[in-house]
Amino acid sequence: MATWKSGKVWMAAVLCFIIVLTGCSSNNGGSKENSNSGKNNSANTAEQSPSNAGTAGEGADAGADAKSNIEFMGWGGDTEKAVFQTLIDAYMKKYPNKKVKYTVVPPGEYYQKLDTLIAAKKTPDVFYAGGANFNKLVSSGVLMNLQSLLESSSLVDQNNVWPAALDRYRYDGTASGQGDIYGLPKDVGPWAFAYNKDLFDKAGLPYPSAKAGEYTWDDMIADAKKLTVANERGKIDTFGVAGYSTESAVWANGGDWTDGKGNITIDTPEFAQAMQFVADLNLVHKVSPSPDDEKAQNGYARFVAGKIAMFPMGPWDQPGFWDLPFNWDIAAWPASPNTGKTATWLGSLGFVVSAKTEFPDDAFRLAAYLSLDQDSQRQNYELGQAVPNLMDMAKGEFLQMDKKPETRQVFLDIISDYGRPPIENTSKNTKWLDTFWQDASAVWTGKQSAADFVKAEQPKLQKLFDESNK
Amino acid sequence: MKKTITGYRRKEIIWSLIFVTPPVLGFLIFGLAPLLTSFGLSFMSWDMLTPSEVVGFDNFNYMFNDEKFYKSLYNTVFLLLGIPLGMIVSMILAIMMNRKLAGISIFRTIYYIPVISPIIAVSLLWQWMLNYDYGLVNEFIWKVFGTQGPNWLGDPNWVKPSFIIMGLWGGVGGTMVLYLAGLQGISSTYYEAAEVDGASRWHQFRHITLPLLSPIHFYVVVMGIIGTFQSFSQMYILAADGGPEYSGATIVYYIFQEAFKYFNMGYASSVAWVLGILIFIITLVQFRLSKRWVYQD
Repeated sequence: MATWKSGKVWMAAVLCFIIVLTGCSSNNGGSKENSNSGKNNSANTAEQSPSNAGTAGEGADAGADAKSNIEFMGWGGDTEKAVFQTLIDAYMKKYPNKKVKYTVVPPGEYYQKLDTLIAAKKTPDVFYAGGANFNKLVSSGVLMNLQSLLESSSLVDQNNVWPAALDRYRYDGTASGQGDIYGLPKDVGPWAFAYNKDLFDKAGLPYPSAKAGEYTWDDMIADAKKLTVANERGKIDTFGVAGYSTESAVWANGGDWTDGKGNITIDTPEFAQAMQFVADLNLVHKVSPSPDDEKAQNGYARFVAGKIAMFPMGPWDQPGFWDLPFNWDIAAWPASPNTGKTATWLGSLGFVVSAKTEFPDDAFRLAAYLSLDQDSQRQNYELGQAVPNLMDMAKGEFLQMDKKPETRQVFLDIISDYGRPPIENTSKNTKWLDTFWQDASAVWTGKQSAADFVKAEQPKLQKLFDESNK
Repeated sequence: MKKTITGYRRKEIIWSLIFVTPPVLGFLIFGLAPLLTSFGLSFMSWDMLTPSEVVGFDNFNYMFNDEKFYKSLYNTVFLLLGIPLGMIVSMILAIMMNRKLAGISIFRTIYYIPVISPIIAVSLLWQWMLNYDYGLVNEFIWKVFGTQGPNWLGDPNWVKPSFIIMGLWGGVGGTMVLYLAGLQGISSTYYEAAEVDGASRWHQFRHITLPLLSPIHFYVVVMGIIGTFQSFSQMYILAADGGPEYSGATIVYYIFQEAFKYFNMGYASSVAWVLGILIFIITLVQFRLSKRWVYQD
């Protein structure tokens, strides 16, 4: 047997080993540890606080000078990254003792990265969550209950935040919208109904009403028929409407996907009728692109090219639409003639705090700052990303903004009146819903009637829904 | 008896161990450990957030009753059709490229370019080429045959053929190089002897070239089947939701969805193991059968 004596060789071996080990765990171990020292020495910092008193703002804000180290993770493109980096820099300037490390992940990989970090017990202190994933995170005990912090905090004026936005982050384990708060809204995204004014002018038609309930499905079909134009080869060149929201149609007609108690309710006449209405826009009335047409060029590209008269949009579409060479505005979603009502979905993403954070107060402080700070909210809407979370700002300067769409009130109506949480918010998983949309193509292509489809689909969805929400 | 190796020899052994350590550790940490973990996970239910739970054979029961599992398996098997097609095309190309022409290496390079092109970029390119209304392929069909081409990526019946065509374009270059090497390894004496005996070109191909290329055929078939069973990237780009009526989803795509969209890690592991075992069995059978048709020198 060889005797191992040479120290040099051993060192090299150990070095190799270390290189391999660090290769797999080269994460942020360091930053958290050195921050520990600053955690509980508020007595120390209190002595220095007079020099910083001015920056703290409100007098009652204890802990404004406490040291902390927060990891914040979000997703987004370059614009969003730049906005948040600016906001975080401003935050760190306001609170010089608080450090924030901001990580951006591409949207498509976000939840993969997040879940991996959680599994590895490296959950960021503050991060984005929304929809079904939010429900899942709350019920898995990953998120911190913010209710008590919210009540005692001087940082948040709850009366000035859209109730619909705040309620989105209540969850009691079974249904969203009830119980304690586990997040603060990053934004509210009303799914609105845009129309190309130039095409309406050309056809000599009045614009759709901005008031909910005045413009019905029948009105829309009649208008769309006049707005749909074929080219000389007989192929339809300009469509009356595209991307009509199935959610809007179903809800307006009094149907829904679930009853909120865990039952799938797609097999109702109201649901089937609404779905058939959406399918018939193409199949019967020929005023909307077929799935084949959509595959060739989607509704968005066609609308931007001025080839669609009516098309849905969210506030985040504004920057893209500001440059369009035609006039456009938003209107209320058409109402179902059966109920006289309309509806649409109101998207939202939230800032949530890890239940395991070392700095609960400061994590909450950062979330509140990003969610409700005046400057951050202003910057966000000026960039055309969202509608402000703050009601006074939304009803004030946001409405006055001199950029399209003119009738911004529609956004606010959706938030305060007929907007609803997206379907996935009723569940912890979207598998059943993905399956629904996949299978629904049989209706859009006319292979199956909506009534037959929902009848056959209900048991299948119920099974998947139950599996996902055990 | 204690035997001590000393001097130069001892030093060499130690250094060799040091050099071998990183790859061995790499395999243990990134290869073997995940493999064993996923085997354990396939009998558990784990969503990454809450502690895992042992569920026995539930995952496998669920799998064998899930219609999407069968659909994705069928789609994957359908894509195997691309292998014989690819072999025929690349063999023809290889024979064409095996001549001594001026500038032949340029042609060889051109055919090899798709192999080294990133699959994402290639998929996006094909997405446009196969566009129903505006794509080059349908434009060509319209110009030449005067008829509207199929909705390649939108029609459930055409999605898989589209993938096969893309796979052909991307894969023949690599296979061609293998065949080229095989062709150049065939001694010219066989052909000379055959010519003396009056064998036609076809007979030479049929009885000399084809059999002597059999080790290459074997390699291409084995690797092709394994590769097809693992195909994922094209589908991920071109059929993000599984394609119309789930017609574009492969088995690995299905695993990916379960693991990284719905976070059913346990279930995804069990499907991955079934896939692994399936590939193993198929490869084993091929090796058995190969004794009957593969000529080894």
